[in-house]
Amino acid sequence: MFELLDRETLGIIILTLQMTLLSTAISLVLGVPLGLWLDRVNFKGKSILVLINRTLMASPPVVIGLVVYLLLMRNGPFGSLGWLFTLQAMVIAQVLLLTPIICGIVYTASQRSSSHIRSFAVTMGATKWQTQVLLIKELGNEIYFAAITGFGRAMSEVGAIMIVGGNIRYHTRVMTTTISLLRNRGEINQAIFLGAILMLIALAIQIIAGILRKRERRTDENY
Amino acid sequence: MKITDLKKKLDKFSLDIKSLEIPEGKIYGIIGPNGCGKTTAMKLMAGVMKPDSGKIDYCGLTPRDITMVLRKPYLLHDTVERNLIYPLKLRKIKPDITLIDHYLEITGLTDYRNKYALTLSGGEQQKLALARALIFSPKLILIDEAFSNMDIESVAFFEDYILKTQTEDPLTKTPSEPKTFIIISHQLSNIKRMCEYTFFMHNGEIITSGETDKLLSSPDNDKLKQYLNYM
Ligand SMILES: Nc1ncnc2c1ncn2[C@@H]1O[C@H](COP(=O)(O)OP(=O)(O)O)[C@@H](O)[C@H]1O
Ligand SMILES: [Mg+2]
Repeated sequence: MFELLDRETLGIIILTLQMTLLSTAISLVLGVPLGLWLDRVNFKGKSILVLINRTLMASPPVVIGLVVYLLLMRNGPFGSLGWLFTLQAMVIAQVLLLTPIICGIVYTASQRSSSHIRSFAVTMGATKWQTQVLLIKELGNEIYFAAITGFGRAMSEVGAIMIVGGNIRYHTRVMTTTISLLRNRGEINQAIFLGAILMLIALAIQIIAGILRKRERRTDENY
Repeated sequence: MKITDLKKKLDKFSLDIKSLEIPEGKIYGIIGPNGCGKTTAMKLMAGVMKPDSGKIDYCGLTPRDITMVLRKPYLLHDTVERNLIYPLKLRKIKPDITLIDHYLEITGLTDYRNKYALTLSGGEQQKLALARALIFSPKLILIDEAFSNMDIESVAFFEDYILKTQTEDPLTKTPSEPKTFIIISHQLSNIKRMCEYTFFMHNGEIITSGETDKLLSSPDNDKLKQYLNYM
């Protein structure tokens, strides 16, 4: 088994984790406030915005990949950055995939309980900022769920990062794109090995996240 | 507190309080049938709801001096103790252990201080919410049927407690600036014991008011008579 885990494979695993964590973190920073904002505001075009959000939640990764490719290609509007076929490009594509998902989950959760939380905050004399902190804390369960969902999506994604990352050896090759390549080459053993590691990482993340969450939220609330 | 021409429309219901003056430092009651707008009026006073028009003059009170306790209180996804000290935390006040102990004791939740608050019974949740509203000594305390799930003994205890601590610091037992309470209750015994002055609401309006004893013993209004008949 150890001969399967060579230096190159280790590099691939590390790059995968880097990409996934970075994409999830950035998407959380963007998606959580966006979801809370979408719940709070009321304007004419809001229903259209929600519809767009729902559509983007299910957007096909290859389409997102294509869009990012067109933006970053040498003659594209952001071509001068030179980010095509780099980690940055893969993270951008994944952030575009994940942010709507996280925003949508937070929006739905917020719709259900934010008015109670905001009213409570007023009765306690909370400032605007304290109210936002309270909302994020009280919606912690749902935000956690959104983060895990986003992380899972980022880690298992192939289509978008294949297009914008290019699956370049030692550079943008991650676990999913490697598995796909190995299968094409008929190296099934190594493919299965990587697949198993991918599953193990998913499991480990769940366990770590469970421990990190300081207080366990109960479902047996007394109403 | 002075209210002028306060209006709020909610679907088919509309609240309309032409003029209402509530001098500070007393305990007031609001009674009236279901759906007459008591909760709505109180939410407007608490700033939880914004009026369509009209004005509330708090005579110098800031939002931080006002609190409201609801029949179904919002409890944090956290322990009993952290719920209790939440308003102090918001004010960057480091809670004194004797203060926390006092409020845990009056709620009977001393042994439950580390228990997850949302697993408490309905009555216990109400006691916790009431203690949480009292712990930071707000000047105006609005209570909306916040005793409804408590047992008779607990209700009597909190009636006494509020009467006593309205003008007295609960820990030092020294006189304090009188607090203002406004209490909504369907148990007339609550109103009779605690409230000096009572307002009767009907269809979104305050149609009569007076000193509680007089108002309830010799009602001057047909709607109020009808309401009291079923008690
Ligand atoms: N958010 C709301 N949306 C629509 N109608 C509401 C809302 N809140 C209250 N109402 C209506 O306003 C009326 C008064 O409600 P409320 O003030 O809670 O009455 P009370 O507390 O006196 O029983 C009720 O008919 C209720 O259905
Ligand atoms: Mg009510």
